[in-house]
Amino acid sequence: MVDAGGIRLHVQRTRPADGRIPHATIVLVHGLLTDSLASYYFTVAPAFAAAGLDVVMYDLRGHGRSERPPQGYTLDHNIDDLEALLDRLAVTGPVHLVGNSYGGTIAFGFAARHPERTATLTLIESEPATAAWAAKLGRILDRVMTELAHNERDALAWIIAHRGHNTARLAKGAARLARETTLGRDIPASRVLTEAAIRAVRCPVLGVYGGESDLAGLVPLMRALLTDYRPVVLSGYEHSVLVEAPAAVGGHILDLVGAGAGVG
Amino acid sequence: MNPTQPAPAQPTADTVLADLTGMLRTVLAEYGDDDVLIGMSTTFNRDLELESIDLVTLAGLLEERYGQRVNLAEFLAGMEFDEIIELTVGRLVEYVVWSLKTTQAG
Repeated sequence: MVDAGGIRLHVQRTRPADGRIPHATIVLVHGLLTDSLASYYFTVAPAFAAAGLDVVMYDLRGHGRSERPPQGYTLDHNIDDLEALLDRLAVTGPVHLVGNSYGGTIAFGFAARHPERTATLTLIESEPATAAWAAKLGRILDRVMTELAHNERDALAWIIAHRGHNTARLAKGAARLARETTLGRDIPASRVLTEAAIRAVRCPVLGVYGGESDLAGLVPLMRALLTDYRPVVLSGYEHSVLVEAPAAVGGHILDLVGAGAGVG
Repeated sequence: MNPTQPAPAQPTADTVLADLTGMLRTVLAEYGDDDVLIGMSTTFNRDLELESIDLVTLAGLLEERYGQRVNLAEFLAGMEFDEIIELTVGRLVEYVVWSLKTTQAG
Protein backbone atom coordinates (compact mmCIF):
# COMPACT_ATOMS: atom_id res chain seq x y z
CA MET A 1 0.00 0.00 0.00
CA VAL A 2 1.24 3.47 -0.88
CA ASP A 3 0.01 6.70 0.64
CA ALA A 4 -0.75 8.90 -2.36
CA GLY A 5 -1.51 12.26 -0.85
CA GLY A 6 -3.88 11.19 1.90
CA ILE A 7 -5.33 8.08 0.27
CA ARG A 8 -3.92 4.59 0.57
CA LEU A 9 -3.63 2.91 -2.82
CA HIS A 10 -2.76 -0.72 -3.50
CA VAL A 11 0.25 -0.79 -5.83
CA GLN A 12 2.00 -3.67 -7.58
CA ARG A 13 5.29 -3.03 -9.29
CA THR A 14 7.18 -5.60 -11.34
CA ARG A 15 10.58 -5.31 -12.95
CA PRO A 16 12.68 -7.52 -15.23
CA ALA A 17 13.31 -10.79 -13.34
CA ASP A 18 16.93 -11.01 -14.51
CA GLY A 19 17.93 -7.85 -12.65
CA ARG A 20 18.32 -5.67 -15.76
CA ILE A 21 17.82 -1.94 -15.16
CA PRO A 22 14.43 -1.10 -16.72
CA HIS A 23 14.70 1.26 -19.71
CA ALA A 24 11.38 2.98 -19.00
CA THR A 25 8.36 2.97 -16.70
CA ILE A 26 4.93 1.90 -17.89
CA VAL A 27 1.89 2.73 -15.76
CA LEU A 28 -1.29 0.68 -16.17
CA VAL A 29 -4.65 2.17 -15.16
CA HIS A 30 -7.76 -0.02 -14.87
CA GLY A 31 -11.47 0.67 -15.41
CA LEU A 32 -14.60 1.27 -13.34
CA LEU A 33 -16.60 -0.70 -10.75
CA THR A 34 -15.71 -4.36 -11.31
CA ASP A 35 -12.17 -3.75 -12.57
CA SER A 36 -8.87 -3.81 -10.69
CA LEU A 37 -5.14 -3.96 -11.34
CA ALA A 38 -5.55 -7.73 -11.71
CA SER A 39 -6.73 -7.16 -15.30
CA TYR A 40 -3.12 -6.23 -16.08
CA TYR A 41 -1.27 -8.28 -13.49
CA PHE A 42 -2.29 -11.62 -15.01
CA THR A 43 -2.36 -10.52 -18.67
CA VAL A 44 0.17 -8.08 -20.14
CA ALA A 45 2.31 -7.16 -17.09
CA PRO A 46 4.62 -10.23 -17.12
CA ALA A 47 5.47 -9.64 -20.81
CA PHE A 48 6.12 -5.95 -20.15
CA ALA A 49 8.52 -6.75 -17.31
CA ALA A 50 10.23 -9.38 -19.48
CA ALA A 51 10.66 -6.71 -22.18
CA GLY A 52 12.74 -4.65 -19.75
CA LEU A 53 10.10 -2.28 -18.41
CA ASP A 54 9.40 -1.09 -14.88
CA VAL A 55 5.68 -1.90 -14.60
CA VAL A 56 3.51 0.07 -12.17
CA MET A 57 -0.07 -1.07 -11.53
CA TYR A 58 -2.45 0.30 -8.92
CA ASP A 59 -6.05 -0.04 -7.81
CA LEU A 60 -8.07 3.14 -8.26
CA ARG A 61 -9.60 4.64 -5.10
CA GLY A 62 -12.63 2.59 -4.09
CA HIS A 63 -11.51 -0.36 -6.22
CA GLY A 64 -9.63 -3.61 -5.59
CA ARG A 65 -7.56 -3.40 -2.40
CA SER A 66 -7.30 0.39 -2.31
CA GLU A 67 -9.01 2.56 0.28
CA ARG A 68 -12.69 3.35 -0.38
CA PRO A 69 -13.48 6.87 0.87
CA PRO A 70 -17.18 7.81 0.85
CA GLN A 71 -16.58 10.69 -1.56
CA GLY A 72 -14.11 12.18 -4.01
CA TYR A 73 -14.68 10.25 -7.22
CA THR A 74 -14.45 12.85 -9.99
CA LEU A 75 -12.01 12.35 -12.84
CA ASP A 76 -9.79 15.08 -11.35
CA HIS A 77 -9.56 13.09 -8.08
CA ASN A 78 -8.35 10.11 -10.10
CA ILE A 79 -5.80 12.22 -11.99
CA ASP A 80 -4.61 13.78 -8.71
CA ASP A 81 -4.17 10.27 -7.28
CA LEU A 82 -2.08 9.16 -10.26
CA GLU A 83 0.05 12.28 -10.00
CA ALA A 84 0.57 11.82 -6.25
CA LEU A 85 1.33 8.13 -6.71
CA LEU A 86 4.06 8.77 -9.30
CA ASP A 87 5.54 11.48 -7.08
CA ARG A 88 5.47 9.11 -4.10
CA LEU A 89 7.15 6.37 -6.16
CA ALA A 90 9.72 8.95 -7.35
CA VAL A 91 8.83 8.28 -10.99
CA THR A 92 9.66 11.72 -12.37
CA GLY A 93 10.64 11.06 -15.99
CA PRO A 94 8.18 10.62 -18.85
CA VAL A 95 6.13 7.43 -18.48
CA HIS A 96 4.25 5.24 -20.89
CA LEU A 97 0.62 5.40 -19.81
CA VAL A 98 -1.91 2.67 -20.53
CA GLY A 99 -5.56 2.93 -19.60
CA ASN A 100 -8.40 0.46 -20.01
CA SER A 101 -11.89 1.93 -20.39
CA TYR A 102 -12.27 4.64 -17.68
CA GLY A 103 -8.56 4.14 -16.90
CA GLY A 104 -7.79 5.51 -20.38
CA THR A 105 -9.86 8.59 -19.64
CA ILE A 106 -7.73 9.11 -16.50
CA ALA A 107 -4.52 8.51 -18.47
CA PHE A 108 -5.59 10.99 -21.16
CA GLY A 109 -6.38 13.56 -18.48
CA PHE A 110 -2.92 13.06 -16.96
CA ALA A 111 -1.28 13.46 -20.40
CA ALA A 112 -3.24 16.68 -21.01
CA ARG A 113 -2.18 18.03 -17.62
CA HIS A 114 1.44 16.83 -17.84
CA PRO A 115 2.66 16.53 -21.44
CA GLU A 116 6.26 16.58 -20.18
CA ARG A 117 5.65 13.51 -18.00
CA THR A 118 3.95 11.44 -20.73
CA ALA A 119 6.05 9.52 -23.28
CA THR A 120 3.21 7.61 -24.95
CA LEU A 121 -0.44 6.97 -24.28
CA THR A 122 -2.46 3.81 -24.90
CA LEU A 123 -6.24 3.99 -24.76
CA ILE A 124 -7.84 0.54 -24.64
CA GLU A 125 -11.57 0.76 -25.33
CA SER A 126 -11.42 4.28 -24.04
CA GLU A 127 -11.80 7.95 -24.86
CA PRO A 128 -10.88 11.39 -23.49
CA ALA A 129 -13.31 13.16 -21.15
CA THR A 130 -15.75 15.12 -23.32
CA ALA A 131 -19.30 16.29 -22.69
CA ALA A 132 -20.55 13.28 -24.69
CA TRP A 133 -18.42 10.95 -22.56
CA ALA A 134 -19.77 12.45 -19.32
CA ALA A 135 -23.36 12.08 -20.56
CA LYS A 136 -22.79 8.44 -21.54
CA LEU A 137 -21.16 7.58 -18.19
CA GLY A 138 -24.05 9.38 -16.49
CA ARG A 139 -26.57 7.12 -18.26
CA ILE A 140 -24.63 3.94 -17.44
CA LEU A 141 -24.12 4.87 -13.78
CA ASP A 142 -27.71 6.06 -13.43
CA ARG A 143 -28.92 2.70 -14.56
CA VAL A 144 -26.64 0.88 -12.13
CA MET A 145 -27.71 3.14 -9.23
CA THR A 146 -31.44 2.98 -10.00
CA GLU A 147 -31.47 -0.75 -10.33
CA LEU A 148 -29.45 -1.13 -7.15
CA ALA A 149 -31.94 1.00 -5.25
CA HIS A 150 -34.93 -0.92 -6.59
CA ASN A 151 -33.75 -4.45 -6.90
CA GLU A 152 -30.24 -5.29 -5.88
CA ARG A 153 -30.50 -8.90 -7.06
CA ASP A 154 -31.42 -7.89 -10.63
CA ALA A 155 -28.84 -5.12 -10.61
CA LEU A 156 -26.11 -7.56 -9.63
CA ALA A 157 -27.19 -9.88 -12.44
CA TRP A 158 -27.01 -6.92 -14.83
CA ILE A 159 -23.51 -5.96 -13.68
CA ILE A 160 -22.33 -9.55 -14.09
CA ALA A 161 -23.87 -9.85 -17.55
CA HIS A 162 -22.43 -6.54 -18.75
CA ARG A 163 -19.01 -6.61 -17.20
CA GLY A 164 -17.84 -10.05 -18.26
CA HIS A 165 -16.93 -13.22 -16.45
CA ASN A 166 -17.33 -12.16 -12.88
CA THR A 167 -18.65 -13.86 -9.80
CA ALA A 168 -21.38 -12.64 -7.50
CA ARG A 169 -18.76 -11.56 -4.99
CA LEU A 170 -17.18 -9.11 -7.42
CA ALA A 171 -20.60 -7.74 -8.41
CA LYS A 172 -21.41 -7.21 -4.72
CA GLY A 173 -18.18 -5.26 -4.29
CA ALA A 174 -19.10 -3.07 -7.25
CA ALA A 175 -22.58 -2.60 -5.83
CA ARG A 176 -21.10 -1.49 -2.51
CA LEU A 177 -18.90 1.02 -4.29
CA ALA A 178 -21.88 2.40 -6.21
CA ARG A 179 -24.18 2.48 -3.17
CA GLU A 180 -21.86 3.67 -0.41
CA THR A 181 -19.87 6.32 -2.25
CA THR A 182 -20.57 9.39 -4.39
CA LEU A 183 -18.94 7.75 -7.45
CA GLY A 184 -22.22 7.51 -9.37
CA ARG A 185 -22.80 11.27 -9.06
CA ASP A 186 -19.17 12.39 -9.19
CA ILE A 187 -18.00 10.85 -12.46
CA PRO A 188 -20.69 12.36 -14.72
CA ALA A 189 -20.11 15.71 -12.98
CA SER A 190 -16.38 15.65 -13.76
CA ARG A 191 -14.68 18.57 -15.45
CA VAL A 192 -14.18 17.59 -19.09
CA LEU A 193 -11.51 18.60 -21.61
CA THR A 194 -11.92 21.30 -24.21
CA GLU A 195 -11.22 20.41 -27.81
CA ALA A 196 -8.06 22.54 -27.63
CA ALA A 197 -6.87 20.55 -24.60
CA ILE A 198 -7.42 17.27 -26.44
CA ARG A 199 -5.59 18.57 -29.52
CA ALA A 200 -2.70 19.64 -27.28
CA VAL A 201 -1.87 16.00 -26.49
CA ARG A 202 0.92 15.45 -28.99
CA CYS A 203 2.62 12.30 -27.76
CA PRO A 204 2.05 9.08 -29.75
CA VAL A 205 -1.42 7.74 -28.89
CA LEU A 206 -2.31 4.10 -29.51
CA GLY A 207 -6.04 3.37 -29.58
CA VAL A 208 -7.02 -0.31 -29.17
CA TYR A 209 -10.65 -1.27 -29.76
CA GLY A 210 -12.74 -4.40 -29.96
CA GLY A 211 -14.23 -4.63 -33.43
CA GLU A 212 -17.66 -5.40 -31.95
CA SER A 213 -17.54 -2.43 -29.56
CA ASP A 214 -19.18 0.88 -30.41
CA LEU A 215 -16.05 2.67 -29.17
CA ALA A 216 -14.36 1.63 -32.43
CA GLY A 217 -16.63 4.24 -34.01
CA LEU A 218 -14.48 6.94 -32.36
CA VAL A 219 -11.52 6.31 -34.67
CA PRO A 220 -12.32 9.03 -37.25
CA LEU A 221 -12.90 11.67 -34.57
CA MET A 222 -9.69 10.80 -32.72
CA ARG A 223 -7.77 10.78 -35.98
CA ALA A 224 -9.01 14.30 -36.66
CA LEU A 225 -8.06 15.56 -33.18
CA LEU A 226 -4.69 13.95 -32.47
CA THR A 227 -1.40 14.59 -34.24
CA ASP A 228 0.08 11.11 -33.74
CA TYR A 229 -2.79 8.62 -33.44
CA ARG A 230 -2.46 4.90 -34.20
CA PRO A 231 -5.73 3.01 -34.08
CA VAL A 232 -5.89 -0.79 -33.89
CA VAL A 233 -9.23 -2.58 -34.15
CA LEU A 234 -9.20 -6.24 -33.09
CA SER A 235 -12.09 -7.94 -34.79
CA GLY A 236 -14.24 -10.42 -32.91
CA TYR A 237 -13.75 -8.71 -29.54
CA GLU A 238 -15.92 -6.39 -27.49
CA HIS A 239 -15.23 -4.07 -24.55
CA SER A 240 -13.16 -6.64 -22.61
CA VAL A 241 -10.54 -6.98 -25.35
CA LEU A 242 -7.67 -6.49 -22.83
CA VAL A 243 -8.41 -9.64 -20.85
CA GLU A 244 -9.66 -11.65 -23.84
CA ALA A 245 -6.82 -10.87 -26.25
CA PRO A 246 -3.89 -9.92 -23.99
CA ALA A 247 -1.16 -11.15 -26.34
CA ALA A 248 -2.39 -8.98 -29.22
CA VAL A 249 -3.04 -5.93 -27.03
CA GLY A 250 0.30 -6.30 -25.22
CA GLY A 251 2.16 -6.71 -28.51
CA HIS A 252 0.78 -3.46 -29.91
CA ILE A 253 1.68 -1.64 -26.70
CA LEU A 254 5.24 -2.98 -26.76
CA ASP A 255 5.56 -1.86 -30.41
CA LEU A 256 4.50 1.63 -29.40
CA VAL A 257 6.73 1.76 -26.32
CA GLY A 258 9.73 0.36 -28.21
CA ALA A 259 9.34 3.01 -30.89
CA GLY A 260 8.88 5.71 -28.25
CA ALA A 261 12.04 4.65 -26.44
CA GLY A 262 14.05 4.42 -29.63
CA VAL A 263 14.86 0.73 -29.14
CA GLY A 264 12.24 -0.76 -31.44
CA MET B 1 15.58 -38.02 0.85
CA ASN B 2 13.45 -38.60 3.88
CA PRO B 3 9.79 -37.79 3.17
CA THR B 4 8.90 -37.53 6.86
CA GLN B 5 11.19 -34.55 7.35
CA PRO B 6 9.78 -31.19 6.30
CA ALA B 7 12.26 -29.76 3.82
CA PRO B 8 11.24 -26.42 2.31
CA ALA B 9 13.74 -26.69 -0.54
CA GLN B 10 12.22 -29.95 -1.77
CA PRO B 11 8.53 -29.67 -1.04
CA THR B 12 6.14 -32.44 -1.99
CA ALA B 13 2.62 -32.04 -3.31
CA ASP B 14 1.34 -32.67 0.22
CA THR B 15 3.39 -29.94 1.85
CA VAL B 16 2.60 -27.48 -0.94
CA LEU B 17 -1.11 -28.27 -0.64
CA ALA B 18 -0.90 -27.61 3.09
CA ASP B 19 0.90 -24.29 2.50
CA LEU B 20 -1.54 -23.27 -0.20
CA THR B 21 -4.54 -24.17 1.92
CA GLY B 22 -3.23 -21.85 4.63
CA MET B 23 -2.73 -19.02 2.13
CA LEU B 24 -6.22 -19.49 0.68
CA ARG B 25 -7.71 -19.40 4.19
CA THR B 26 -5.92 -16.07 4.71
CA VAL B 27 -7.40 -14.68 1.48
CA LEU B 28 -10.90 -16.06 2.17
CA ALA B 29 -10.89 -14.72 5.72
CA GLU B 30 -11.48 -11.26 4.21
CA TYR B 31 -14.88 -12.49 3.10
CA GLY B 32 -15.63 -14.23 6.39
CA ASP B 33 -15.38 -17.65 4.73
CA ASP B 34 -13.49 -19.81 7.21
CA ASP B 35 -15.02 -23.24 6.72
CA VAL B 36 -14.60 -23.89 2.99
CA LEU B 37 -13.21 -27.31 2.09
CA ILE B 38 -10.02 -27.03 0.07
CA GLY B 39 -8.55 -30.00 -1.83
CA MET B 40 -6.69 -30.75 -5.04
CA SER B 41 -9.87 -30.63 -7.15
CA THR B 42 -11.20 -27.37 -5.69
CA THR B 43 -11.56 -24.67 -8.36
CA PHE B 44 -10.55 -21.09 -7.65
CA ASN B 45 -13.40 -19.55 -9.59
CA ARG B 46 -16.45 -21.77 -9.09
CA ASP B 47 -15.77 -23.32 -5.67
CA LEU B 48 -13.86 -20.58 -3.87
CA GLU B 49 -15.35 -17.67 -5.87
CA LEU B 50 -11.98 -15.97 -5.79
CA GLU B 51 -11.72 -12.75 -7.76
CA SER B 52 -8.69 -11.90 -9.84
CA ILE B 53 -7.65 -9.33 -7.22
CA ASP B 54 -7.64 -12.17 -4.63
CA LEU B 55 -5.24 -14.03 -6.90
CA VAL B 56 -2.93 -10.99 -6.83
CA THR B 57 -2.90 -11.32 -3.02
CA LEU B 58 -2.23 -15.05 -3.39
CA ALA B 59 0.64 -14.30 -5.79
CA GLY B 60 2.20 -12.13 -3.07
CA LEU B 61 1.78 -14.86 -0.43
CA LEU B 62 3.35 -17.46 -2.76
CA GLU B 63 6.34 -15.22 -3.42
CA GLU B 64 6.73 -14.55 0.31
CA ARG B 65 6.79 -18.29 0.99
CA TYR B 66 8.82 -19.59 -1.96
CA GLY B 67 10.62 -16.57 -3.39
CA GLN B 68 10.57 -15.37 -6.99
CA ARG B 69 10.88 -18.94 -8.27
CA VAL B 70 7.10 -19.21 -8.00
CA ASN B 71 5.53 -16.55 -10.22
CA LEU B 72 1.74 -16.85 -10.33
CA ALA B 73 1.40 -13.94 -12.78
CA GLU B 74 3.65 -15.65 -15.34
CA PHE B 75 1.91 -18.99 -14.79
CA LEU B 76 -1.55 -17.51 -15.43
CA ALA B 77 -0.43 -15.18 -18.23
CA GLY B 78 0.54 -18.28 -20.21
CA MET B 79 -3.01 -19.65 -20.02
CA GLU B 80 -6.12 -19.21 -22.08
CA PHE B 81 -8.99 -17.41 -20.39
CA ASP B 82 -11.07 -20.61 -20.08
CA GLU B 83 -8.16 -22.47 -18.47
CA ILE B 84 -7.93 -19.81 -15.79
CA ILE B 85 -11.66 -20.11 -15.08
CA GLU B 86 -11.24 -23.89 -14.66
CA LEU B 87 -8.00 -23.64 -12.65
CA THR B 88 -7.83 -26.06 -9.72
CA VAL B 89 -5.80 -26.00 -6.52
CA GLY B 90 -4.15 -29.23 -7.73
CA ARG B 91 -2.91 -27.61 -10.93
CA LEU B 92 -1.31 -24.79 -8.94
CA VAL B 93 0.24 -27.29 -6.51
CA GLU B 94 1.81 -29.11 -9.48
CA TYR B 95 3.15 -25.83 -10.85
CA VAL B 96 4.70 -24.87 -7.49
CA VAL B 97 6.34 -28.27 -7.04
CA TRP B 98 7.60 -28.15 -10.64
CA SER B 99 9.05 -24.62 -10.39
CA LEU B 100 10.85 -25.38 -7.15
CA LYS B 101 12.34 -28.58 -8.62
CA THR B 102 13.36 -26.85 -11.85
CA THR B 103 15.11 -24.01 -10.11
CA GLN B 104 16.68 -26.43 -7.62
CA ALA B 105 18.26 -28.35 -10.49
CA GLY B 106 19.35 -25.18 -12.27
